[in-house]
Amino acid sequence: MLGAGISGHTAALHLRRLLGKGHEVVVVSPNSKWNWIPSNIWVGVGKMTTDQVTFPLAPIYKRKGITFHQALATALYPEGSPDMESPHVSVTFTDPSRLNETANIAYDYLINATGPKLNFAATPGLGPDGYTASVCTAPHATEAAAQLATVISKMKAGQRQRLVIGVGHGTCTCEGAAFEYTFNVEHEVRDAGVRDMADITYLTNEYELGDFGVGGMTFTQKGLETTSKLWTESLFRERGVNAVLGAHVEKIEPGVINYEQLDGSKNQLEYDFAMLLPPFRGADLQAFNAVGDDVSAEVFAPSGFMKVDANYAAKPFEQWRAEDWPSTYESSRFPNVFGVGIAFAPPHQISMPRTSPNGTVITPAPPRTGMPSGVMGKTAALTIFDRIKMGSSATDHKASMSSMGAACVASAGTGLRRGSAAAMTMYPVVPDYQRFGRTGRSAKDTFGEIGLAGHWIKYMLHVAFIYKAKARPLWYLIPE
Amino acid sequence: MDEATASIASSPLPTEQTIRRRKNLVFQTWRFVALNLRMLTMITKGSH
Repeated sequence: MLGAGISGHTAALHLRRLLGKGHEVVVVSPNSKWNWIPSNIWVGVGKMTTDQVTFPLAPIYKRKGITFHQALATALYPEGSPDMESPHVSVTFTDPSRLNETANIAYDYLINATGPKLNFAATPGLGPDGYTASVCTAPHATEAAAQLATVISKMKAGQRQRLVIGVGHGTCTCEGAAFEYTFNVEHEVRDAGVRDMADITYLTNEYELGDFGVGGMTFTQKGLETTSKLWTESLFRERGVNAVLGAHVEKIEPGVINYEQLDGSKNQLEYDFAMLLPPFRGADLQAFNAVGDDVSAEVFAPSGFMKVDANYAAKPFEQWRAEDWPSTYESSRFPNVFGVGIAFAPPHQISMPRTSPNGTVITPAPPRTGMPSGVMGKTAALTIFDRIKMGSSATDHKASMSSMGAACVASAGTGLRRGSAAAMTMYPVVPDYQRFGRTGRSAKDTFGEIGLAGHWIKYMLHVAFIYKAKARPLWYLIPE
Repeated sequence: MDEATASIASSPLPTEQTIRRRKNLVFQTWRFVALNLRMLTMITKGSH
């Protein structure tokens, strides 16, 4: 397993559980800790600490009998190389005791679960090394909480503050996380008694509110169809949050966000506090064939994500089909290599693609974090287990995002009695208009509800998934 | 007023009763159970 996030860690634990001691399960990750990323939102408003959302991986892997290398994978050699006959991966250690040492690690089966590279460089001035905060990692979220505390102090001192939360590029994903952080910040500001001193703006690449990178949802409530757009707009109105839609952030200067919108206009937004998520790209991983030729372009999409069993033929939105989406996650170039979670290359967006008159693409990338990531990791692990046990005749396990549901519980404020969250489910994640007709999704299994219960569910998921990730007794009974 | 702001301004607000229900401990306990069951059903349907 390359990567120890939700996908890679899930795959490693399942393989270790299923395989006998005669098999070695190896995890390579540049990070020493596992992070329950959905709860970074609460770290970002100072309601949780880094230690509550992370834990060291090494003791868990030692207990479970999994070999762990704290290292960064740099190159794949699925056909071997002149230096090593068997398939292998080159790594550079990030473990302080072996810092910058390199090694080749042989494998029979490889799961690429390297997740995203946080591409702050795509937008000048974006990110903690620039002029905006982030909640993508626990340390980033801790820094965001400190900046938020500063602006709240200024509000208490009578200074009106402008808070901008959203995404920092036209092709970002994870709008749900930006939405969550927006309403958690609003909740904190209100709790601090200074709501009237804050102008809060949600800045997004979504064409309309409630899109969330999945083209929006249609809910059925009291016998009527309603849209996630109307539902989300209602929450924005209730909580007094402004929105800038269809925006591609071009550049950030101290206190000023420069952005282009879908109508081609170029605008500026001044801010005192800004948390903008970066776009993602694949890990910096190369691939070589047996004679040492660089075949990275065959193995990875230009975005750096791994090509798997999807239909990558370019075609217009009207011709997109549910079956374009991958189901086994096996590399299209090399057998026994899988790309799961954020690391696989989606065949296309889920939201309708849009471009400004200036040619700028402003469309959310497809989300594939959390629950789908875990399911993909487990699916690849089950396929590998069956191939080991039954040989090449084994049938591949499948889990396409077009036949998989997902639950998204978007926190809108913390507190066991005063918290709130928007609990949403959709089935399937990728709309299937041939199967489900006009809305593309099952009306019965696609719903949304706002309330305290959603907050309890979000907290329950925090506890349950950390329990599961720590491989405590019966961890495997908790669904992905 | 831009399009997004106008659309938000014209969206429906929850009634007082809806807001109370979203915070009511008894009702939310029931919703906690019901939502978990619905989510589990959806997960089971999508299981491979």
